[in-house]
Amino acid sequence: MSRDVWTVVALGMIAVLTALTVMFLSWGIGNHSVGFGFWVGSVLTLGIFSYLYKDNPFYKFAEHVFVGVSAAYWIAIAYWTQIDRNLWGRLLPEQFPQGGHEFNGFYIIPLILGIFMLCRLIPSIGWISRWSLAFIVGLYAGLRMYGFLQSNIMEQARDTLRPIIVPGSLVDSINNFLLVVGVLSALLYFFFSKEHKGVFGVVSRVGIFFLMISFGASFGFAVMGRISLLIGRFDYLIQAGTPSAGRASVVVAVIMILVLLIQAFKDKGSAEEA
Amino acid sequence: MAGNNSFLVKMGQLDRRLVFVVIGIAVFLPLKFPIGLAVVTTPTTQDVFNAVDSIPEGSTVLVSFEYGPSTRPEIEPMAITLLRQLFNEKQKVVAMALWPDGQFMSTRVLERIADKEYGLKWGVDYVNLGYRPGQEAVIKGIAKDLRANYNSDVRNNPVEDLPIMDGIYTVKDFDFIFSLSAGYPGTVEWVLYAADPYGIPMSTGVTAIQVNEVIPYVKGGQIKGILAGMSGAAEYENLVKAGDATRFMDAQSVAHFLIVLFIILGNISYLVQRRKQTA
Repeated sequence: MSRDVWTVVALGMIAVLTALTVMFLSWGIGNHSVGFGFWVGSVLTLGIFSYLYKDNPFYKFAEHVFVGVSAAYWIAIAYWTQIDRNLWGRLLPEQFPQGGHEFNGFYIIPLILGIFMLCRLIPSIGWISRWSLAFIVGLYAGLRMYGFLQSNIMEQARDTLRPIIVPGSLVDSINNFLLVVGVLSALLYFFFSKEHKGVFGVVSRVGIFFLMISFGASFGFAVMGRISLLIGRFDYLIQAGTPSAGRASVVVAVIMILVLLIQAFKDKGSAEEA
Repeated sequence: MAGNNSFLVKMGQLDRRLVFVVIGIAVFLPLKFPIGLAVVTTPTTQDVFNAVDSIPEGSTVLVSFEYGPSTRPEIEPMAITLLRQLFNEKQKVVAMALWPDGQFMSTRVLERIADKEYGLKWGVDYVNLGYRPGQEAVIKGIAKDLRANYNSDVRNNPVEDLPIMDGIYTVKDFDFIFSLSAGYPGTVEWVLYAADPYGIPMSTGVTAIQVNEVIPYVKGGQIKGILAGMSGAAEYENLVKAGDATRFMDAQSVAHFLIVLFIILGNISYLVQRRKQTA
């Protein structure tokens, strides 16, 4: 990245920090923590949104902060909830009483498996970590197998066995008919031991239509979910733009737009010169 | 006609940044200036309301928080409305979390509703057991022995000292489970390891993106109704008490309308362009 870009970003950051200081000084002490949160939230949210224009230093800054904070957060969570409470808390209950557990010698096994996992860091003995991975894979495969068999196969298959004609209810009859046809045709579409031709081909094609409708519904829900997240952030920015929050989002947005505009003009100028 | 065609072709080549700006404006304006579009309750939301409504008074309900700050706009309105309905009907609430962030979410919501709005007593009317690592293994664990996994609540009170936990030793001792879920582990795991194996009545509120994954369990009767994303939350609020989701629905509806419009225009533009190329 060119020196000019960094100069502009540095000036932008200095402007934001100056505005922050002015705002804090103009408030009472009690408002500081809430106010600071709004400023940080506004810088990070608008920094991420700025990527929609193009990749830029504000986005990079927000992205790096996010990655760093997330990594630290997960390490802290993993240590304090799993290693400290669950592992040391059961192996050395007197020294680690926070979990309130009694001594349990079986926890030496996860300790050893955990150490094996760390062997990945040393290439010559990295293969030992496969034992830990094998344990995790085996455990989860076993754990999920019976759950899936009961809830996803037996219960779902039972629910598919519906009467196609429901006396007195045309809507239910149509629903049940569509359900049965949809399940059978979609299943046949995934049967690859026979060429999809003739009647079999027609039925599997019907299956594709049902699958397409399902994908369409998934896409619609995905859009709805993403818009909901956008609404959440916009609502936050609106709150951060109120006088009680020091108009944080408005100030940050104006500064970011100005910096990006200046940079765009500079880029255009250097492109024309070249 | 040629003019119309060139307009349609241009529509298909719109700068994507312009689309972002239009969507941004479409979301911002209704939030700032609400329109008050109607919210119609769907049967799946009504089923959730009815299921919660039919729990006998004084029952103990397990509410599991499996969402974080990113999905808060969708799920938190559901959590708030659910707690209001449960507390209106004098139910006891035991909160827990399969996500670490879920503990912060549950603390925030319980403080606002149970403590400030209803003035209920910690450990008697409600309690927050917090987060435990292990994902679905936690559900398996509390199905066998809840106190081995949760020996204290988030305020470090021993579980055996909490009156609300009298007679609660496993997940089977709860009268109802409600999962507020934004992904894995969440609703599906509760169905697989608690609701189905032990026949515990259960309902759920999920993010929109999860609906297609969870709806087969609803249709199969394994879950009683579903609150589907922000619209589900708004419908639920409509039945209990208006809140944030209802306020957000204007923006959601306007944005959806615009996206549908963009999809239609994009497809027409694509067809016109293809016809031009083949002509």
